[in-house]
Parts: sequence; C-alpha cells; structure tokens
Amino acid sequence: MPGSDKTIFHVDMDAFFVSVEELFDPSLKGNAVVVGGQRDERGVVCAASYEARKFGVHSAMPLRTAAKLCPHAIFVDGHPSRYREYSEKVHKVLTSFSPLVEMASIDEAYLDMTGTGRLHGPPLRAADSLQRAMKSESNLNCSIGIGRSRLVAKVCSAKAKPHGVLWAVPGQEANLLAPLDVRDIPGVGKVTEHELHELGINRVRDLRRFSDEFLKDRFGKWGLALAGKARGEDAGGWFDTEVAAHSDAKSISHEHTYSEDATRQEQMESTLMRLSEMVGRRLREAGMHARTVQLKLRYKDFTTITRARTMTHPTQLDSEIFAGVRDLFRKNWRAGVAVRLLGVHVSSFEEPQYQQRDLLDDGQRERWEHALSAVDNLRDRFGESSVSLASGLCGNFRERTQRTPLGCRDTQTRKPSSE
Amino acid sequence: MPVEAIATGTTAMEITVGRVELMRELAATQGVVERKTTIPILSNYLFEASGDKLSLTATDLDLSLRTSCSAKVKKEGACTVPARKLHDYVRLLPDADITIKLLENHWISIRCGRSNTKMVGMARSNFPGLPSFPTAGVVKIPAQVLRGMIAKTGFAIASEESRYTLNGALMVLKPESMTMVATDGHRLAHIERVGEKFEGVSGEMKTLVPKKAMDELKSLLDSADVDEIEFGKDESTLFFRIGPRLLTSRQLTGQFPNYEAVLPKDNTKSINLNGDALSAAISRVAQFADERSRAVRIKLDKGELKLSASSTESGESEDSLETDYNGDSFTIGFNAQYILEFLKAVGGADVKLELKDAQSAGQLRPAEGEDYKYRYIVMPMRI
Repeated sequence: MPGSDKTIFHVDMDAFFVSVEELFDPSLKGNAVVVGGQRDERGVVCAASYEARKFGVHSAMPLRTAAKLCPHAIFVDGHPSRYREYSEKVHKVLTSFSPLVEMASIDEAYLDMTGTGRLHGPPLRAADSLQRAMKSESNLNCSIGIGRSRLVAKVCSAKAKPHGVLWAVPGQEANLLAPLDVRDIPGVGKVTEHELHELGINRVRDLRRFSDEFLKDRFGKWGLALAGKARGEDAGGWFDTEVAAHSDAKSISHEHTYSEDATRQEQMESTLMRLSEMVGRRLREAGMHARTVQLKLRYKDFTTITRARTMTHPTQLDSEIFAGVRDLFRKNWRAGVAVRLLGVHVSSFEEPQYQQRDLLDDGQRERWEHALSAVDNLRDRFGESSVSLASGLCGNFRERTQRTPLGCRDTQTRKPSSE
Repeated sequence: MPVEAIATGTTAMEITVGRVELMRELAATQGVVERKTTIPILSNYLFEASGDKLSLTATDLDLSLRTSCSAKVKKEGACTVPARKLHDYVRLLPDADITIKLLENHWISIRCGRSNTKMVGMARSNFPGLPSFPTAGVVKIPAQVLRGMIAKTGFAIASEESRYTLNGALMVLKPESMTMVATDGHRLAHIERVGEKFEGVSGEMKTLVPKKAMDELKSLLDSADVDEIEFGKDESTLFFRIGPRLLTSRQLTGQFPNYEAVLPKDNTKSINLNGDALSAAISRVAQFADERSRAVRIKLDKGELKLSASSTESGESEDSLETDYNGDSFTIGFNAQYILEFLKAVGGADVKLELKDAQSAGQLRPAEGEDYKYRYIVMPMRI
C-alpha cells in the first residue's frame, strides 16, 4: 500500500475557552459554562463546557438559544487576551516537541513528529509526555490524534476526546475510517454531506463503491482525496499539505457585529476607524505592509457585500487603511439601511523594502509612523484600549472571541449591549 | 436643450448620409459612450436631423460629446441608436450612401446599397438633457498649446479614486499665461506658457479638468484640424468646442492641493543629461527592479551617474552615464516608471536633473526651455 512514513499529531485542547476561564475562576469547574457573552445578548456561543454540551449547547449557537436549552448554565464573557496568552503557552509546549508546528486555530495544532522517535520514543509515549508537559506548563488538557496524515490525525483526536490519545496504526486507516459517518471527515459540511447522502453514501466505506473519476467529477479534488482516504491511502488534497508549510498570514481582518443594528454613518465610520486601528496594529506587529484593503458590510437582512481597493502604495498605517475603507463604505453603503456587521480586511502583503515618499503630505506619513509606533508601545504596556484615535473612540467595543489561529490574527469583535 | 423643438416624438426622421462621413463621427465619439450597461440609454447615440445636418450625441453623464456631419434630411426628427452596434455595423458597410429612417416602436432602419438592417432603439425622450454652451466668458485657446500641455501633464494624474481632487489636472488661465498642473501625490507635472493672449480672462481662471475629459480632449485635438478651441464653463460643467465638436464634462469639485508649496527651491545639485541616453539606461536597469515598486537607485559621483536595480526574483543590473556633476557623492531612489514617463513626454531632449538630498523631491526639466516652462517634480523612494 502506498503511504507516507510520516507521523502527524493533531493536538486539540479540551474545551479550551472554558478551561482557561476555569483557571481564572475555579468556581466554574464542574458546572455548565457557556463562553461568549451574557444569556440575553445577541451573539453566539463560542465555547461550552462538557456539562453544557450535554444539554445540546454547542459553539456558534445563538446565546439566547443556549440559555433556553440550558437555563442553569453560567454565562461568561469571552476574554480574547487570556486565550491568546494561553494559546501562546500551548504553542510553546508544542514547539518543544517538534519544530514543525502549525496552529490550525487558537486551540488546535498539527505537529509533524516524523523522525522524533529517538528523542520522544514511539508515538504513544511521545503523546503521553506531550499531554503531561501541557498539563504542567499550561494547566490545560488536550486530546491527541496520531496518523500518517493530517486528516487521519484529526479524525483520531476527535474520537479521543476528552484527554485521550488515539493512534491510527499505519495500514489500519481504512478500517478505522470505514464505519465512520461521512460527516466525521473534516471538510465534509452540510452541503457535501447532503450530496453524499443523495448518492447513498452515508458511511466512509460506502465511498468505495464509486470510482475515483466519478468522485472527482462530482466533488473535484476533494472527492479524489476522499476516495483515497476511504481506501486508507494518503491521497491528495489540501489536507495533505506539509505541516507548517503555510504558516505565513496572507490576510488580516477584524470584524464587528453590532448588538443593535447600526444606522448612523458617524457611528459606523467610528467602528471602521477602530477596526482599521486593530488591523494596522497587527500589520505592524507582523512587520507587513498591505496593498489591498477590503470592506465587509452585512445588512440587517444578512445580505453581505465585500468591496476591495488596491492602494497606490502598500501601507500599515491606521489612517490610510481607514481612508480606504471609509471611502468604500461611503460609496457602497445604502444610506439609512441598518447594518449588522462591519469588517476591515487587508491583504496582498509586501515587504517594506522600498517605499514611495509622498509629495503632498508634508512628512505626515512619517509622523504617523512615529506616532503609531509610540502608540503600539503604550498598548504593549498598558493594554489595547489605553490609546485610541479620536475618531475611533465612539466605535470602541470589546473584542470578541474566535477560534482563529494566532498566526493569522483574524479576530472578530463585538460590541456588548452593556456599552 | 436646443433640440427640444424637433423632438416631437411622432416625427419619423429620415436622412441620407455618406458612409465615410458618418463613420468618422462614430469613431470620434466611441470613447464617450458608456461601456457599462447600468443605464441602457447611455449606450445609445442621440441622432437629431434638421436643416442639412445630422447631429450625434453620446454621453456617460460625466462626459458628453456632440458632433455633426452633413446629411440630406428628408424628414427632420430625432431617434436613439445603440452606439457600439451601429459603429461596428457601419464599419463593415461599403462606401456608399446610408439611409437612416425611424420606424415605429423606436426601431431604426439602416439601408446601404444591398444591405438592409433594422436596429432596436429607445425612446428619444429617455436620453438625458445636456447643458448648453455658455453665451459669455468663452476663452479661445490655441489648439496646439492645449494639446501639448495635456501631453506633458496628463500622465501624472492620479488614477486612484480615493484622492478625488487629484483625478484631474488644474488649468490656470491668466490674461497672458496659461498653466497646467497634474499630480498623483508622488510626482507632479507643471507646465506654463507665457506670452499668449487670452482674451476674456481677467485675473485668474482656475479649472479642474477631469482625467477622462483630458484624455478625450487629447484624442479630439489629435484628429482635428483646428487652430483654436473655445473653452467655457458654468457652475457645474466645462465646455470645449473643437471645430464642429463640442465636449462637455462635469467639473471636478474640491480643492486642488497647494502645489506651489512643493515646488523645490533649493535643489542645488544639478546634472545635465541626455534624455535618450538616460531613458535607455533606466529602461535596461528597471528590468531588474522590484516589480511592484519599480525602484531604481541613482548614485551620483564626480563625473558619473550610476543606475542600479535589484530584486530577489530577477537579479541585479547596473548602468552608468558620464555627467558634468561635481558635487558630493550620494544615492537616491526613484520609481523608474515616473522618470521614464517624463523623459517620454520631453521626447528625448536634453534634461536637467536637480536634487537636494535623498529625502527631498527631485526636479527634472528640459535643458532648453523654449516658450514653455516645464518642470516635473518626483518624490524619491526610501531605499
């Protein structure tokens, strides 16, 4: 059987957000806990404790629905800064086991453990020491799936939860996957699941009845990967890219969902200013300049538009990002129509090797750069909200928790109803 | 709208026009026809026949062009015709007379020799009304002067929409001089013509001419054989009459930046260079410049100007020119494109490069200023 000799770990933190909250408030332990906001707020559950999950609460569910399902649950606000801090601790532990670590989100990662046998012992022993190290360094539990591909590792970690280890012994992948529901395969969402069901494919083993060509025609590359997986092969597809091969961020974005739909231009531009500041800050942290800025705008009825613009020069300045998105906003917002969400997204990163100086700004750009680097220093020392541009002040809001990996720094933000 | 009287709707227009003449006007107006089809009537021509001529109007609401050609008018009237389709069709017709006739339901019959076509038009009443040429304050501008000024500044206009007031050139008319300035925030082209008399101008007449109007004006001037054009404006519209053609443009509102403040005053390091040689050297070196920033380094030493560029993808390249430079040695970076565009505009003539330091704007100008004062200011890059 063709197959790589790779050893991939998928490390998934157990109820990460809840566990972190428990460290700060031990009284939460053993209770049904919902992280994401208060029970009567608009917004969604970002994590639920295992006790709350028993009542059907799951992430991405509206908070109010969660409150109905599990009225006795304790609702706590998310603390993105805490999660980042702990995610960094997790990352540190992981890098002590392998140099090839790819954070897939804030609380899960892939490790390429190939060839670490002499250092860490066989896979199960390595996994055990990793779990112990994780506990002692970060006080958090994790589950580990081990396989020859990311996909198998990911499937295994899901089966190992909580605080377990599952190793798909090389050659046994097909047997492991065969009885699984197709929905258990990462990447199969509602739509694909529905299409597969229509073909009479309910379990992974059912896939074997179809030829590669057929699956490829029907589902593209992904179908081919699926077919390969069903046979236990390391088939192609995005899931098989090298671990940590694509760790560079390609875009940075921040979004804000209003707890009450916004209709005032001034308020929304203020939000855009604040989002631009957050994006600019991340750009400067990453040492990147972006050439493309994009506005995301979601109306009350959920119709969503995105509009992008290429700047004459790449930038990392809040003021320039803001000028771009504000202009896009003014051109595209249907005046008076209630807005639910705004987002600022930058991409097309460039190295700041050469920079065109501006003729008309009278050195303003350089002064902005100096000012912002001072602001960044203040924020590093006194927190994100210690300094803000005046126009962003009335758009101030609490950052919202989201599961994006640290490397990408994509964070959503939300204004709590209390403000 | 001077044509209201003839557009009575029920009149069935009928004319005969020479194919060559019609084609010439169709070609001249294509640039103004709206390409996007968001407002269908804007992809149509307005045809109006009266007396012994057919007048054609195209507009995209920002810009309108009205022109005419002689025609045998059998029945006066007006109609609208899909512009692109008509242009493409007439181009394929033989050189003979074309008969155009308005039918019912806005259909238009086009006959030429043995060819017979009916096109679907739209109601004439849908066509937007156009402002009329002002009766007072009209200034005559020599066609070649205007044409040259557009060619020497137009390329420096910003194409980025966010700097709205830079999307056009500033035209300043005084009783005895005319100036045109364009900038995109990185470079600025400034040209002044003195010793010309502009009648009807008292004090200073400042106008922001949108880029689209500049481009259209240039192509109209290229093809027209006229000595003078007539320029006029009202609160919202600019008018340029070039022979039988009338170009109108919506005015750009807003404040053009205070460009006088950025014109360098103490650029004492001066180098005389041959435009062609400089252009050739920069073109060569720029092949190896960072593709996005197009940065080239210029190093000045006694008697020599060294050009270099490098990028991780393509490699590195160096070139040098002999100069009369005698000052301190220093290095400055420029976007190659910016320099090349200026050198192209001066047509390879000898130029003077005047610098202060690596951070300040550099100035380029033709070594020999004839009747024009032409200067080009470029901000350096951080290298």
